[in-house]
Amino acid sequence: MDELDLLKKDWNKGDNKFPKLSYNEIYKMILKKSSSIVKWIFIISLLEFALWTFISFFLKDTESMKRFDQYDADAVFIPLMIIGYIILAYFFYLFFKNYKTISATDNAKVLMENILKTRKTVKQYVAFNLIYLVISTIVVLFLEFDRDQQVIDQVNQAAANGEAFKFYAGIIIATILLLVVAIGVLLLFYWLVYGILLKRLNRNYKELKKLEV
Amino acid sequence: MNKELEHSFVELLEKHQNIIHKVCRLYTNNYDAHNDLFQEITIQLWKAYPKFRGDAKFSTWMYRVGLNTAITLYRKSKRSINTQDFEGVEFKIKAEDYDDTEEQQLKVLYKAVHQLNDIEKALVFLYLEDKDYREISETMGISEVNARVKMNRIKTKLRTILNP
Repeated sequence: MDELDLLKKDWNKGDNKFPKLSYNEIYKMILKKSSSIVKWIFIISLLEFALWTFISFFLKDTESMKRFDQYDADAVFIPLMIIGYIILAYFFYLFFKNYKTISATDNAKVLMENILKTRKTVKQYVAFNLIYLVISTIVVLFLEFDRDQQVIDQVNQAAANGEAFKFYAGIIIATILLLVVAIGVLLLFYWLVYGILLKRLNRNYKELKKLEV
Repeated sequence: MNKELEHSFVELLEKHQNIIHKVCRLYTNNYDAHNDLFQEITIQLWKAYPKFRGDAKFSTWMYRVGLNTAITLYRKSKRSINTQDFEGVEFKIKAEDYDDTEEQQLKVLYKAVHQLNDIEKALVFLYLEDKDYREISETMGISEVNARVKMNRIKTKLRTILNP
């Protein structure tokens, strides 16, 4: 006899081996909160949206931002801001649409794909924010060189000393380093959080995909 | 949620609770983890219940949600580490059923099944529940042919685990 058939024989007569939960015990269970990975992904995603919105609001009130007001560069800043909000709204819509389609009654593969899709939307949102951060930094840097009297004076002074190239290079390298560190820390954080949360799902999804080849 | 819905759900679940216990038996190996997973499956079933239509069998519907929870949705709690092992603790064997060699063999078999990965366990579970390949393929989202091939591979794998 096949090993599994031996197991099957035992499996089906084993119904009385389990503790029998009463009506009340089951009733109490349905009142409790779920702690599924979907719920965690949902919470973390909302935190991500909140974080980036918070960062943009927070930056608005800082000293350096106030300095930008003098640049007379609304033509650049306002479109940049509007694009940022439109894209945020779009990602928010996508995220909720994906989240709504997650259902425990789908087959195993579809369920995994829907969860991964929700995750992917947030990943794209984070990627968008990082790109947005880089573009904004370049724009701001350009505006500073172009319109900030303080910076222009420094450039002129450096040029008089024959160190204009050194001055530009110093600022650009420092900015790039700061960006790299900031992006690196953020990516490491995402990698850790989602790596832990989705390790099992990814492994199981791979296993299912392997069957299709 | 309305009371009537709650009542009908709890009643149905009470009747079919063994399905959840069986899923837990394959996917956990101690008492706390068993209870944790049981709890999460119950919540997932309850959340999905308003969309449950009578055209599917309640038990068939339970298989799907139960396995999905065990494979995908459930987050293993920290409590499940370093707690007492199941063996001989929870499941009492009735005296008249006791057959030493067969019992020994079964013990080894269950241990071997526990070494399979999550997907393999799901297929074994459906197989043990006497589901045909059509239902296995529909529950897992793979083709019938692939379900069959995988099942054969699992049998070979089990044999290798049992006779290294």
